[in-house]
Amino acid sequence: MLKSAFHGRSANSPPFLDRVLSAASRQNTGVLMLIVFCGVAVVGVFVIRDLQSASAEAQKMYSGSVHGLQQIGELQYYAQETRRATLYALTTSDSNLQVEYADQSRDADQRVTDGIAEYDRQAKTPAGVTLANRLAHDWKDYLNVRDEVLASILEGSTKEAVGLDLSGGVPAFELVRQDLNEVKRLYDEDASQRLANLVASSRRSSWRLVEILGFTFLLSCGAVWTIQRSRMLSAIQLAKLQMEFVASVSHELRTPLAVLSSAADNIADGLIEEKGALRKYGVILQKQSRNMGKLVDQILLFASTEDHKNRYMLRPIQVAPIIDSILNGTEALVQGAGFQVDRDIDPDLPFVLGDVSGISQCLENLIGNAVKYGGEDRRIVIRASVAPLERESGREVRISVADRGIGIDPYELTRIFDPFYRSPRVAAAQIHGTGLGLSLAKRIADAMGGKLSVVSELSLGSTFTLHLQIAKGETMQTAGTTSRPALSLRP
Amino acid sequence: MRRLTTLLILLAFAAWPQAYASRAESGYGEGLSAEQGGATEPLVIIVNRSNPVENLSFAELRAIFLGGRSHWTNGRRITLVMREPGEPERKTVLRDVCGMDEDQLKIHFLRGLYTGDILLSPKILATPTGVRKFIFNVPGAIGYLRASDVDSTVKVVRIDGLGPADKGYKLHIQFTTFN
Repeated sequence: MLKSAFHGRSANSPPFLDRVLSAASRQNTGVLMLIVFCGVAVVGVFVIRDLQSASAEAQKMYSGSVHGLQQIGELQYYAQETRRATLYALTTSDSNLQVEYADQSRDADQRVTDGIAEYDRQAKTPAGVTLANRLAHDWKDYLNVRDEVLASILEGSTKEAVGLDLSGGVPAFELVRQDLNEVKRLYDEDASQRLANLVASSRRSSWRLVEILGFTFLLSCGAVWTIQRSRMLSAIQLAKLQMEFVASVSHELRTPLAVLSSAADNIADGLIEEKGALRKYGVILQKQSRNMGKLVDQILLFASTEDHKNRYMLRPIQVAPIIDSILNGTEALVQGAGFQVDRDIDPDLPFVLGDVSGISQCLENLIGNAVKYGGEDRRIVIRASVAPLERESGREVRISVADRGIGIDPYELTRIFDPFYRSPRVAAAQIHGTGLGLSLAKRIADAMGGKLSVVSELSLGSTFTLHLQIAKGETMQTAGTTSRPALSLRP
Repeated sequence: MRRLTTLLILLAFAAWPQAYASRAESGYGEGLSAEQGGATEPLVIIVNRSNPVENLSFAELRAIFLGGRSHWTNGRRITLVMREPGEPERKTVLRDVCGMDEDQLKIHFLRGLYTGDILLSPKILATPTGVRKFIFNVPGAIGYLRASDVDSTVKVVRIDGLGPADKGYKLHIQFTTFN
């Protein structure tokens, strides 16, 4: 009898990490790469943000400090030019030249006035605003004196002009000069601060870049190691399963072979001469040879389904007669093990789309497992009913085989349908099997367009359910008759 | 000898104004012949925009241009601005306001400066723009320009209550055109 992947947590169950890696190997190797990508992307976002911040800081530094210092330099130059042109007018008595100098002085003072207004607009700190106002006020005071000086020069009153300049112009211009120096000092401080910010931002970006490279390297190493390890574990596991399979098959064959050999020896040695005894030996030989045949058939069937090709002729069939036939066929097995079977078949079941031999093979395996792992309760329940589909509209027929046996460990639920898989706990309990039964049942269910599901709780039992499609046009029709035309799904 | 020379100069200065006045009234040196056609443009009197003066009588204008008046009503010193000799604007002022020719004006100012009657000699500027900028820079300046050369940096003064566009305005530059 074949055995499926059952049950429970064994003492030598694989470590948590290996279980995780195994799961990753089978389904989610891409997830590791996704995690690497996400990690790199997150750190990359921080780095890009830092670089943008540094770039913005550099631009601010240029526009706010370097460009500002350049403007201040121009302000200082034009302020000096204002005064210089005024004084040049003193050096000539030619009114035309004096007017030209006055014109130059006014042109320069207009540039200074515009520059001060621009500085006032750009000033953000209270100190900057106060300084801008003071500079504008002092500059205006100087210009008033300058106008008087120019007027005196143009009038020809040189002495008066010099007196005005010495008494008012020089002190007023000194105030302006001090204000401009103060503005320059503020710009210098601001530039120093921005430079410090830029340096800090650049340093932070460098560190983050190093971090992202290191992080990427570590994650890549981890991913490669994980993938390699999971592959190695899979290979080891497969080899182990195949070895176990060979051992199981050998063991399964040895028992009937021993019986056959013993019986044949007894008959050959003439120890059995009575007809009744010979008949009894004949029955034994017949039974054991049939068991061996069944085992070989299972192995061949599994091998034939290995290529996952659909080998079944699907047609509308009734479920109840098949279940009854299977129960009859397994009666000896069930009763021999002391089990009782409860049959709960919905009388209004519609026709299902399937193959009689496939459904039979599938349910025989499930019943065989229920007997093997049914525990002390020794009770099997077979139900067949119509139920709605889980993720889409419509209905299906579900045939479930439930036992109240040892159950399946939750972490093994994803593995019990793997070929050759046998639970370490079951192997330790020396419950024989090949690990092909559930795998074969699932492949048969899939080949018929259905599926096989399991619900299990450790020490409380398991329920395996075969989901079959309802035949088209048969949804509401009851299985009142068995004479239905064959429906082939294949050309 | 030195006193004698000074006396002769003063006598000459005293005698010339009457002669120049009579020549000005008869169009001396500046009149247009019958064969010559004439075009005119108003000559405007301009002052600094801060100057409160809006109107001057022709007599006041003459007194200012001959240096007889040295201060404005606000106490500012009057600075007279003139174009260079030979310019049509200057000729118009000499003829219509001062009633003198170049030489008479020169002697008039030399004498006034010498006697102390005139405090400042006129400032001579080469271009209308220079005149305009000078008056813009000097609060007590007064000068003249063609009406087309005036802008908002200076203020135009009415003469005897008349503006340049008014009928009866006395100051016009005459341009000589040959037919």
